[in-house]
Amino acid sequence: MTSIVDLKNVSKVIKGRKIIDSLSFQVEEGEVFGFLGPNGAGKTTTIRMIVGLISMSDGDIFICNESVREQFEKAIQHVGAIVENPEMYKFLSGYENLLHYARMMKGISKEKIMETVELVGLTERIHDKVRTYSLGMRQRLGLAQSLLHDPKVLILDEPTNGLDPAGIREIRDHLRMLAKERKMAVIVSSHLLSEMEMMCDRIGIIQEGKLVDVQLVKDFVAVEQVFEIELNPVDTAINYLKNVYPEVQMTSSELGISLTVTRDKIPEIIKTLVLQDFHIFGIKEVSKTLEDRFLELTNQGEGQK
Amino acid sequence: MIQLIRNEWMKIWKRPATLVMIVILLIAVLLLGAFNKYQSSGFSVPDNENWQHGLELENKRYKEMLKDEHLPSETRNYYTKEIALNEYRITHDLSTNIEYSAWDFVSDNIQLISIVGLFTIIIAAGIVANEFNWGTVKLLLIRPLSRTKILLSKYLTVLFFGFIALFVLFAFSFALGAILFGLPEEAYPYLYYSDGVVKEQSIFIHLIGFYGLNSISLIMLTTMAFMISSVFRNSSLAIGISIFLMFMGNTVTFLLANWFDWAKYLLFANTDLTQYFDGTPLVSGMTLSFSIIMLLVYFIVFIGLAFWVFKKRDVAA
Repeated sequence: MTSIVDLKNVSKVIKGRKIIDSLSFQVEEGEVFGFLGPNGAGKTTTIRMIVGLISMSDGDIFICNESVREQFEKAIQHVGAIVENPEMYKFLSGYENLLHYARMMKGISKEKIMETVELVGLTERIHDKVRTYSLGMRQRLGLAQSLLHDPKVLILDEPTNGLDPAGIREIRDHLRMLAKERKMAVIVSSHLLSEMEMMCDRIGIIQEGKLVDVQLVKDFVAVEQVFEIELNPVDTAINYLKNVYPEVQMTSSELGISLTVTRDKIPEIIKTLVLQDFHIFGIKEVSKTLEDRFLELTNQGEGQK
Repeated sequence: MIQLIRNEWMKIWKRPATLVMIVILLIAVLLLGAFNKYQSSGFSVPDNENWQHGLELENKRYKEMLKDEHLPSETRNYYTKEIALNEYRITHDLSTNIEYSAWDFVSDNIQLISIVGLFTIIIAAGIVANEFNWGTVKLLLIRPLSRTKILLSKYLTVLFFGFIALFVLFAFSFALGAILFGLPEEAYPYLYYSDGVVKEQSIFIHLIGFYGLNSISLIMLTTMAFMISSVFRNSSLAIGISIFLMFMGNTVTFLLANWFDWAKYLLFANTDLTQYFDGTPLVSGMTLSFSIIMLLVYFIVFIGLAFWVFKKRDVAA
């Protein structure tokens, strides 16, 4: 994997206050990187520094090895972005909006514009005024705008803000497709955890301008797994299991027993229970949610100070 | 660059407000035309057989006046000029009995330049501030183009708009003038007086120059509105200040010039360059080159501020 976006000790000082404090991380090609943090943690500021809307006080950002600070025009040509809501010229049609942005970059043909429109599924309404579009359609137009020049990096700030579930799902599918099929690096910021869990490969948590943690979503959520077995009778089962697996942590829960084990142990445990004639009605994985982890991590961050 | 200007041009014309402006301009010309045509006292041709004799009498009177030792130099210059022009008319048989023609109508419509100025200021005030209001500035600035280029394209678009609006005014005035008042049978030259010699000039060239000189304050005010728009991101402020100055600037400068010598450094003391061609300078001692330098200084300050702030700005909200 090659890293496409590379932040090196980026800081931003506004009126003597450090909004962003030497932030460093990389985003690789083909991955969806989630940028997570509570409101006011500096997500938007960081994203705006990557796309050059806000200047850096210190450090530098490299996009495809080109410095945003020194060679902005070269670095930014690899980037497509929607910063916050996709604000378009409402008095122009969708097509005119895209034409407007296409003219600002080299070598984008009319065919390319229509191809992008096709991709985001706006072909039927593209010649209507943006004023008449729904929020979901505007979001799709925003996505089309950011994909016109086949960028290597796609940056979306709060892409699901204000969208209905269908719209959110649509965006999610688009992003995953772009990352997997076109090998794009996608950076998404959000404070919606469940959203991030479904969308991202890797998540960076930012708090008070500092990067608290970067982890793969898989690891992030599945450090410990809790399984709940619904069975009868509960008390004898617990006693029995405690004898067989003394190292396993278990408690009785609403429906049966909660066990904290690694996944590969499950078949064995079930087999033992069945052989002992316990009545098993069901078993399910109660994974620790991103939300729990997130709160855990950010609270830790606060606790350390 | 051309592409960027095409973008700005598209964004201007796709808004109904712009079309309304042009329609208002055309209506204003129509109204003036109708007013001139049907006004009863009208511009009936002064049917004066003895126009040459009239001019001779006038010259005689001026010469009498010139004998006065205490005559201020400006008045003296004016009389000398009038005498020279009259003598030129007599010797070259250029009758003063001329009909009001399309050219005169175009010349009269020079007052409508302030309407063109008003509209150009509105465009200039909005062209940067609106991008911030609409939030579209965020998508505009993340393209592989420097901010300087983007702002420059906007400024050039504003100037181009002003130019087109002036052209519409000129062309429509001429067309309507030709329909209502007709074209003169033979081109009547415009006479002007410089360095003691009377010269002839084509009326067309003269009017173009006249429009050009009158557009200087338009350009300066537009540039100022553009600067305010870029610095404060607020179109109402830019429109308000610029239009206030457009209507009050001249008057205030004129009043100040009565008492203070430094009034000559004010922008509005220098925007009217016609004062050096026919008339007297606002503050004595001002020269054409002084005014041009002052205008350049103001221009550079406005443009410099606009670009400097725009380039440095963090786009946060």
